[in-house]
Amino acid sequence: MNSNDLPSLPYRILSVWYRHFLVYTRNLISNGLPPFLEPLIFLAGVGLGLGKYIVSMNNLPYIQYLASGLLVTSAMYTASFECTFGTFIRLEYDKVYDGILAAPITANDLIIGEIFWAGTKGCFFSFAVLTIVTVFGVIPIGLSLLAPVVGFFTGLMFASISLWVTSFVKTINHFNFYMTGVLSPMFFFSGVVFPISSLPKGLQPFAEIMPLTHVVRLVRAFCHHSFEISLFIDLIYVIFITIAMSILAVLRLKCRLIL
Amino acid sequence: MAESIIKVLNVNKSYGTLKAVRNLNFNVLPSTCFGFLGPNGAGKTTMMKMIYGKALRDVTSDSQIKVFGLDPDKYELNIKFLSGVVPQEDNLDEELNVWQNLYIYGNFYGMHRNVICQRIDELLKFFELSSKKLSKIRELSGGMKRRLLIARALLHTPRLLILDEPTTGLDPQVRHLIWEKLRQLKKAGLTILLTTHYMEEAFQLCDTILIMDHGEKIIEGQPGTLLEKYIEAYVIEIQDETLGEIAMKMPIPDSIRPDCSHGNPLFYSESLNALKSLTSRLGSGGYYLRQSNLEDLFLKLTGRALNEQQ
Repeated sequence: MNSNDLPSLPYRILSVWYRHFLVYTRNLISNGLPPFLEPLIFLAGVGLGLGKYIVSMNNLPYIQYLASGLLVTSAMYTASFECTFGTFIRLEYDKVYDGILAAPITANDLIIGEIFWAGTKGCFFSFAVLTIVTVFGVIPIGLSLLAPVVGFFTGLMFASISLWVTSFVKTINHFNFYMTGVLSPMFFFSGVVFPISSLPKGLQPFAEIMPLTHVVRLVRAFCHHSFEISLFIDLIYVIFITIAMSILAVLRLKCRLIL
Repeated sequence: MAESIIKVLNVNKSYGTLKAVRNLNFNVLPSTCFGFLGPNGAGKTTMMKMIYGKALRDVTSDSQIKVFGLDPDKYELNIKFLSGVVPQEDNLDEELNVWQNLYIYGNFYGMHRNVICQRIDELLKFFELSSKKLSKIRELSGGMKRRLLIARALLHTPRLLILDEPTTGLDPQVRHLIWEKLRQLKKAGLTILLTTHYMEEAFQLCDTILIMDHGEKIIEGQPGTLLEKYIEAYVIEIQDETLGEIAMKMPIPDSIRPDCSHGNPLFYSESLNALKSLTSRLGSGGYYLRQSNLEDLFLKLTGRALNEQQ
């Protein structure tokens, strides 16, 4: 064996991704079915109950308004769980990373592979929601079919943020603060459930800081075919946060992997 | 003389104020087995990790590590590509079965699918695990997991095998099976670097051993030579406390070296007859006359027992 045959960078990242893919698809039913059931339950709840009280939001049927938001929140949650609890367990309990790092994979390859896997899961979860909302005719077919692409970028962004958070965490219970303190407010105040313009004026800038706000706008644009020039700002925000947080996550997690 | 596979010069490693490795120097020649021997916390694992880039040595101008002529701080990937690592802690992927564990590993090395499948079959057979091919990891015994970890490290036919305490906690049968396999691999040309705190393991496998304690090298050489040179051939261990007191009061000839720094006394001598005449005065039980081993050597050199936990 000659070290000239060293696998290339994209290949190494892909092989980390493949490990996660293999683990995920091993339990196809228990992993693959819930992403489809969850939007179903949500839509049933809104359709049967809440929708009778709130008929429309921003000139859209409320169920359609909410459904388009769910396309990215599902991606946010799956990527966040994967890169907090999932990563922490692989890092501290199962020692999976130590095993991988004995192979010709660097800590950087490992972390980037992790982020891409979370992006893939985001894409899949968006796809699952899209399937349900399309089948039930909640969102008309059209550019909405591109929602999983937004889901992919949502996954990447929340993976990088979550990995950075994970790099500080010493015991697994600390993630509760992140889930309740960061992700839950994000769900309610990023224009998923109601428009940001309904928030008190003083709070609106905070909503603009939240990463979810920007992917919600992007996915809504595809779902409702309404494009504005300001969407570029949302896009740049997403790209910037993803890259910046990825770099921070890599730098910090590397110190925990290479002693 | 053949080019060294591993060359380590003046290497130090500190974690905060703790100095894990102090000024270590050694060379590992191709197709030999080099063993680190020492108690827990001696710095063995840290030294191993620095060799494949899992830990970074302290930066000093005169320190150097070369593995296949490459510095692990810069050429981590190249070194890992040519080496197999068996960690001290079992880090098999619990979420995958035996075959998949090996398969993803082959994938990390960029091996072709057919080659991986073929190597998996060969190695499972070699380590007597063929019947466990599709088992879950948690269904395996400790000995099977250990064999699987070694198989995983050998999947890509490495030139250097790094083993961190390969047989700790295993029963004697499995231990002997692993030793036998490692000897076969060495014969086939593999270079082996291992850590252990079992004297017998070092004696069975290693061409050269390096005894370390508190991060420092104490002595290095061939196991047989070290014993011959630094410790008497035979020893009496007194196991009974009152017998120990009696023994210490007896006149002891110059050819016997008593050592009572560790509870019950030990009597070392090159002459078996001298020790036998001592035992004849001690009665029939409560002592054990044996050949001295590396453990005694360690005790003599460091003034403490090898099994003391740090």
